[in-house]
Amino acid sequence: MSAPADIVRTLDELGLTVPAPVEHPFTGAVESRWVAPDQIAVACQMFRDADYFFESLTCVDRIAPHGVFELIYTFNRWGLPSRVACRVWAPQDRPVPTVSGVFGGADWNEREAWEFYGVSFAGHPNLTWLLLPEGTEFRPLLKTFTAPPPSEYDDSLDAPPAPPADAQAAPGH
Amino acid sequence: MPKQLPVTEPLDTYTLNMGPQHPSTHGVLRLRLMLRGEQIVVAEPVIGYSHRAHEKMAENRTYAQFLPNTSRQDYLSGMIYNFAWVEAVEKFAGIAVPERALVARVILAEFNRISSHLLWIGAFLMDLGAPTPFLYCWDDREAILFLLESVTGSRLTYCSGRFGGLNRDLDDDFPRRAREVLAKLKARWDEYERLIEDNVIFRGRAIGVGILTRDQCLSYGVTGPTLRGSGVPYDVRKAEPYGAYPRFEFDVPTRSEGDVLARYLVRVLEMKQSVRIIEQALEALPAGPILTPDSIGVKKRLKLPVGTQYYAVESARGHYGILLVSEGGTEPYRAKFRTPSYPNLAVLGDVMPGSYVADAVAVLGSVDLVMPEVDR
Repeated sequence: MSAPADIVRTLDELGLTVPAPVEHPFTGAVESRWVAPDQIAVACQMFRDADYFFESLTCVDRIAPHGVFELIYTFNRWGLPSRVACRVWAPQDRPVPTVSGVFGGADWNEREAWEFYGVSFAGHPNLTWLLLPEGTEFRPLLKTFTAPPPSEYDDSLDAPPAPPADAQAAPGH
Repeated sequence: MPKQLPVTEPLDTYTLNMGPQHPSTHGVLRLRLMLRGEQIVVAEPVIGYSHRAHEKMAENRTYAQFLPNTSRQDYLSGMIYNFAWVEAVEKFAGIAVPERALVARVILAEFNRISSHLLWIGAFLMDLGAPTPFLYCWDDREAILFLLESVTGSRLTYCSGRFGGLNRDLDDDFPRRAREVLAKLKARWDEYERLIEDNVIFRGRAIGVGILTRDQCLSYGVTGPTLRGSGVPYDVRKAEPYGAYPRFEFDVPTRSEGDVLARYLVRVLEMKQSVRIIEQALEALPAGPILTPDSIGVKKRLKLPVGTQYYAVESARGHYGILLVSEGGTEPYRAKFRTPSYPNLAVLGDVMPGSYVADAVAVLGSVDLVMPEVDR
């Protein structure tokens, strides 16, 4: 098995990744790399072939400062600490290639990023709601999100009903 | 003349909805099974029924205010989740933890792991039609809950971790009571073996059922006892040692078969290893403060430096990861919870096709799902 340093060097030499800059340092990962959005599927395939497992996919809202979504993919191996973080800055209006064909675990994670942020994944077989109710139109994890008005069926926010006028005061006290 | 309703799918297959209110789905999970006769053709887990937006809540709370949320993600090993959040923030902020608190956390977390596994064994055997083990497991689990309650004040949703230690110290009598519980547990192992493992009906339902391959685990990111039942000795406590774990000796039990029985046996062996860890930790429990003197407490606001951090622990169900993004404020800019049940459930869509509908319950039960943790 190749060490994390080896696989990221191969990726760097192929021009798929560049070492991540330090203004947002990533701790807890052995290696951290920037990946261009259209290269992520190729990079993922290389991790898959090198026996890495799909650990997590996190979307971060970087729209206000940079106009992008930051997608953080982490890959790991069963053994010594070898977490590699791949960070993709995906422009808001451009779809990112899906990696669900490479890693089965990416399927649900991409659906989550789509429903909570609106990141679209090109080629995803079933890009639909996973955790939110079907038909939800808002993107709750966006920083611009404000809660929609309560549904007309939701009476939990109404004032409690007034007690009937002839209600007896509790005896004593 | 008999009426016939319009047919919407090919006549040789039909769809069966298992859940969301099925007793063996352990929480609100729906499995959409397409069947041909009794054989499963497609199995699609439908989740999200207990989604509470923990990740959104984390963005609107200070680090300390989020503490009660942690154990509500996985209510069966809440202590481990609570400590994971505390340790992630401590590591990010560079808060030192007293020795006594580090060891005490290991003791409490391992007791919690045993209680989680015991509940799983009871509930899983109940799924397979054996109600007796449930009562035995409940009895043993009660002893652990009683012990943990005496330290933390809660029985299920623990919130005893503080940045820099624990909120309450272990009292002087704690080691004695803990050893009593361990003795009770150790006396039970043989009984469990005779009652469950040697039971011919259980073996018949568990051997060769729901085989999970190494490649499926790799593709979905399956971890925990479910992965170790497929022969991979991956345990975060060994792979990325945290807290006081490196100083204790324990093995990572594995089985190579990858079936339901293998996942059961791994959990039983794991409980014995937890007992081993607790025994060493009770011996090594140092004296001293339980909370660092410069702890900021829960009321003052903690600020983390700008950056991103991934912190992982081994929960009762597998690799639990917290990805924290901080922009320097008093609240996380983004908190992602990588829960172990999530990939462990996703992989079932790959595992179940080909098996029979009666085995669906056994396979589903064998991965030890906690739905609030999947849905967050």
